[in-house]
Amino acid sequence: MSDHVDPAELQKHVKKYIFIGLLLIFFTAVTVALSYVELPTHSLNIIVGMIVATFKAALVALIFMHLNHERPLIYKVLAFTAVFCFVLFVLFVMANSDPLVDHGFEKPLQSIEQATP
Amino acid sequence: MDIPYTVHARPDTGLYNAKVGIWLFLASEVMLFGGLFSSYIFLRVGADYPWPVHELNVTLGCINTVVLIASSVSVVWAWAALKMRQFGLYKGLMLFTVLCAVTFMVNKTFEYKAKFEHYAVKLTDGTILTGHLPHGYQIKFGEVNQLAMSIPLKTAAVGADPINYVLNHLDAGATPRFKTEDGKEITLDAATFAELKSAAIEKAKVAKQNTAGLKLTAVSPLSFTVGESDVFAYDASTMTFRDGTVAYGKLADDKMTIEVDGVDTRGVAVKEKSLAFDHRYLGEAWQKAFVANRDHLTVEFDKNYPTRDKTKSATFQKEAYFLHLESTTPPAAEGHGNGHGAEAHAPAAHGDGHGGHHPTVVLEKKDITFFSNFTPKLNTYYAIYFTLTGLHGLHVVAGALVLAYFLFFNGKMMREDPEHLANRVEVGGLFWHFVDLVWIFLFPLLYLL
Repeated sequence: MSDHVDPAELQKHVKKYIFIGLLLIFFTAVTVALSYVELPTHSLNIIVGMIVATFKAALVALIFMHLNHERPLIYKVLAFTAVFCFVLFVLFVMANSDPLVDHGFEKPLQSIEQATP
Repeated sequence: MDIPYTVHARPDTGLYNAKVGIWLFLASEVMLFGGLFSSYIFLRVGADYPWPVHELNVTLGCINTVVLIASSVSVVWAWAALKMRQFGLYKGLMLFTVLCAVTFMVNKTFEYKAKFEHYAVKLTDGTILTGHLPHGYQIKFGEVNQLAMSIPLKTAAVGADPINYVLNHLDAGATPRFKTEDGKEITLDAATFAELKSAAIEKAKVAKQNTAGLKLTAVSPLSFTVGESDVFAYDASTMTFRDGTVAYGKLADDKMTIEVDGVDTRGVAVKEKSLAFDHRYLGEAWQKAFVANRDHLTVEFDKNYPTRDKTKSATFQKEAYFLHLESTTPPAAEGHGNGHGAEAHAPAAHGDGHGGHHPTVVLEKKDITFFSNFTPKLNTYYAIYFTLTGLHGLHVVAGALVLAYFLFFNGKMMREDPEHLANRVEVGGLFWHFVDLVWIFLFPLLYLL
């Protein structure tokens, strides 16, 4: 935010903050309601829930934390964090793959299937 | 000396310094919580038990979410009020924010307390009984006629200390009268034990032994009531206390009395044959209630989702195989409301939110493989739950302290240099929004999904 802000402008901001707050409460209710809906798989429930949560988090970050209009330095700092977090969540994908099986060096699953008639 | 750029922006960054500082800090905080969320995924994917869904108190979690959102609005509004020099409004909004933080922590305390008092007992066939232990888990050991102690002469981890480890478990009313090996009759207390101990050590030194032994024969048989964690081991005739003292007597009772509020059979091969429905425990009537509930839900599920696989529906598994007991006797066969039994036990007040009465079951030791209250010891879900919410709670406390400091101790700055205080509030507010942002993810991940 710049040093000098026009009071009328700020008054408008306050209205926006209250509106966003109500929107967040509304989406909380949506998340709770959706979690009780039996989607075809529970993974879908998780994905939908996380999409709503990410949307809510984006509202907080962009509006309340003023990330919709900040100085470039802050985005540069956050870029490093974003890369780090991305790697953290990719770790999981890597842990789920087995290099031996995935690259065809071994086929343990198939050999089990052959063993059981 | 004044700290530079507290009010006006530094020309090269375009920001006042504190803002650069808080964003650097928040960037590291994101990585901290990111690591924990990543471990949540690993634990959940690797869990060898059904991951709990809707197991926490959703109402309290919901209230806390709304409380944090409201406080996020109020703190950013307080900042705007200060910018507009509306000091009264600023103070009111800051007070509201701090009170929201207090409300959040009070709710969290209730949630934690309910979990600490609630137990899960795993039986040998994989059934998990949940409920309350009205007297904790105690072992009663009676007819004790002899105590044997060993006192190591060199430094050792365990040395006999019957005053602090044995006598405090003596049943009320009994006096610890003993006969020593040379026939003297004594009342065991700190002074006499010290005397006996030094005499035994002298004797052992003369005999060139590494440990001194001490045997006391009870004048009249004694009985002990001991918590499970206060003994190393026990069998039918001996009990070893944590100081290594062995009591010789007779095991009177090592059964666990539990007020059962749930029977989780998801880990059992043949659900309706669960050990919980043994005639010694819940019995046939509850077994019928279990089967009726399962059959009813099976019909419902097939009607609502004809193409879906029941074994893949976590919700169906949970509702059909995790029976919740809300009365002392099973509800009537057809109805699935909670028909309260005629012979209701004395009401047990527990802050679990469920209320009502539960059947009391006395479990035999040989049927129990593991038991714990709902703490990190129970499973990885509760481990990550307490880690994440505990760390988040610490952030709430820290944020509230900072904002309360601005409110109560920066009055002079508010009047003389409001722009500086506005910057402080903005920085404190940024941290507060981050705390809210973390909760936005925590609430669905831990409570709902």
